[in-house]
Amino acid sequence: MTSVEPAHAAPPGPEQAPSATTVTTAPLTRSARPGRKNRDWLHGLLMSAPAVSGLIAFVGVPFGYAVVLSFYNVRLGSPLAPSFFGLEQYRRLFTDPDLSGPFLRALLNNLTFAVVVVPLQTGLALALAILLNRKLKAIGLFRSLFFMPVVFPMALVAVIWRLILARSGQGMLNSALHAVSFGNWGAFDWLGDSATAMASIIVLSVWQGVGFQMVILLAGLQQIPGELYEAAELDRASRWQQFRHVTLPGIRGTLVFVAMLTSVLSFRVFDQVYVLVKGGGLDEDAARTVMYQAVTTAFDQNNIGQASAITVVFFLIVVALTLLQRRVVRPGNED
Amino acid sequence: MSSTSRKYRRTACTGLALALPLAALAACGGGSGGDTSAAAGSGKGAISVWAHQGQKSEDTALQKAVKSFNSSQSNIKVDLKLIPGNDYTKTITATDASKLPDVMEFDGPTMANFVYNKKLAPIDTYVSARTLANATDASKAQGEINGKHYGLGMYDSGLGIYGNKKLLDAAGVKYPTNLSDDWTADQFTAALKALKVKDSDGKTLDLQETGGYANEWGTYGFAPIVWSAGGSLLKDGKAEGALDTPAVVSAMKTFQSWKPYVDPNTDGNAFAKGRVALSWVGHWMYPTYSKALGSDLVVLPLPDFGNGPKTGQGSWAWGIGADTKNAKAAGAFMDYLLNDTNIAAMTTANGAPPATKTALAKSELYKQGGPLQLFADQLAKPCGDSDITKSCVSVTRPVTAGYPTVTAKFSDALNSIYGGADPKSALAKAARAIDQDFSDNAGYKIP
Repeated sequence: MTSVEPAHAAPPGPEQAPSATTVTTAPLTRSARPGRKNRDWLHGLLMSAPAVSGLIAFVGVPFGYAVVLSFYNVRLGSPLAPSFFGLEQYRRLFTDPDLSGPFLRALLNNLTFAVVVVPLQTGLALALAILLNRKLKAIGLFRSLFFMPVVFPMALVAVIWRLILARSGQGMLNSALHAVSFGNWGAFDWLGDSATAMASIIVLSVWQGVGFQMVILLAGLQQIPGELYEAAELDRASRWQQFRHVTLPGIRGTLVFVAMLTSVLSFRVFDQVYVLVKGGGLDEDAARTVMYQAVTTAFDQNNIGQASAITVVFFLIVVALTLLQRRVVRPGNED
Repeated sequence: MSSTSRKYRRTACTGLALALPLAALAACGGGSGGDTSAAAGSGKGAISVWAHQGQKSEDTALQKAVKSFNSSQSNIKVDLKLIPGNDYTKTITATDASKLPDVMEFDGPTMANFVYNKKLAPIDTYVSARTLANATDASKAQGEINGKHYGLGMYDSGLGIYGNKKLLDAAGVKYPTNLSDDWTADQFTAALKALKVKDSDGKTLDLQETGGYANEWGTYGFAPIVWSAGGSLLKDGKAEGALDTPAVVSAMKTFQSWKPYVDPNTDGNAFAKGRVALSWVGHWMYPTYSKALGSDLVVLPLPDFGNGPKTGQGSWAWGIGADTKNAKAAGAFMDYLLNDTNIAAMTTANGAPPATKTALAKSELYKQGGPLQLFADQLAKPCGDSDITKSCVSVTRPVTAGYPTVTAKFSDALNSIYGGADPKSALAKAARAIDQDFSDNAGYKIP
């Protein structure tokens, strides 16, 4: 893209160097007079200013704070002055057996959650989108039905799922299983059993979130021209081949975007764990996520320094993973 | 990004990094901003009051008390603000001391933390001597730090086991009638077994599991097991050697072994509907249970794990804001709030044991021979928070500014023990975490 220079651009300061992002192709508008510096970088800066300043104010500065705070022993509302702690908070996170155990477990839980949820939710969203991408009577109704859970706040959904997963014979899931198994199913403690606690949370999260990804993919599907399918049919392509060679390439970009979004969101998992723990019966060790640990450390135990260290470590891990993911699945040329 | 902007970025980052620590430290404490001091004032004018929004009946009782105080005299005008109970403590924690009201309510165990953060003023010189003398010993114990009083409650609290007489008799279970012939933990376990035989689903006990135990209910409801086993949450500012003793570990093993008998009580009606014969809960369920069971309801003490039966105590209390400029008027309002009429109205509303001697003596529920006499008997034998002997019963949760950590770690451990974790390692872990936190905070010494 080339930019159009406004007539009154600010005179370049003495410290300005030619930008590295100079457009090498001949500008379409008018050629810059020789000797006049290209000011693309300035316009780029101006145009991105709103977004960048938002990022700095709401991400950069708090993160900077978190890094600084993690080197101190800081307490909420403590009359003691914060004392410099050096790397102590980090040392505890990784070597103190009492602290590092739950923390590493929380990291593992987060990772498990992401590894399971990203393919599962993306796949399910794609399946639903294909299912709902047809001309039916009242298709809008079906689409809104599938989209409905997204509208409800997670906190509310988690409260309802508490009743579904309750460990007594009266829990909805247990009584349903009891009914379909002709009374051979007793009461099972879904949330209290370390083997199924995380799985329960995954199921509820996927159910709540899948509608959102479905809508995005549906939009992607509708971008694919119908002629392609007609052509494929003339070539005697089977349903599967049409899907393989027309649908998938057509929504590749959308799919990559959805997978990226889901993975970023899946690292943030907090609400459902928080609500379910407060609701009791949840195996906390098996379901603890890093966000949950950070929030409870900061606001239940007033330990801001420790919580900052947790968030810093987590931020670095998430950034690294996101970069890695970008490397692996480079989105195709999105127009 | 171009090389120039990289240069800029570096400068900006360096600047930011240099400026941030100062800003961060200024923002986060560094001595709580400014010195607060209470002034007696003239005893006239308007005072602000904060209270937690509880059950509707409680709110009405409090609003009525404020209204009648305002109309009973013309010097002081009280302005009451109700704040939702779930956010109440967080609200006070997050409010600067200078912005706090003249009179405020707080949950008993959080008091020490507010004193430590200089948010409460001692009340001894502002409330009348009669009011102080009339407070029950248990209520005074909860409100006292280093010989000064910071809070007094209108009502107290107590734990017990409600029993369904019909079901207990049907299973042939012998149960205690008062504190002196209390059942041991083993007898209690045996009772659960005997009840199980007669029970359709084999669940015979309610432990109020619905909200989980990783919260204040966990600490309040089950710390008595620790105390009754001869341990404590904190001894001389240390948890190690108090919370993780072998006796406490084995008591927690017993607690863990009850889980198969526990009804999850998803609907909250396990006891009222007669699905279980025993319910381990506080005084607040009495109105509901007595309506449901009538004369079949019996109130029993918690089982004894070797160091005598124990119960928690303490509840919401009233104190004076550290920065009040009208402490005399605040004290006058507290005197009024703690008179028999207002306490009777409030405790009728919530079924709690009154926290003053005269109101307790007049209470229909708690007087000798009343249906809840047991709770009054328990409160008549207060232990305080440190001197937990065999003969006293009502233990105050640790009065320390580090209480938020103590309760968080203990209730976490309890929750995981109930979920099947090894009691020994869970308690040891909690004790280590508490001690670590105390050493990080120089023992939470209250100046």
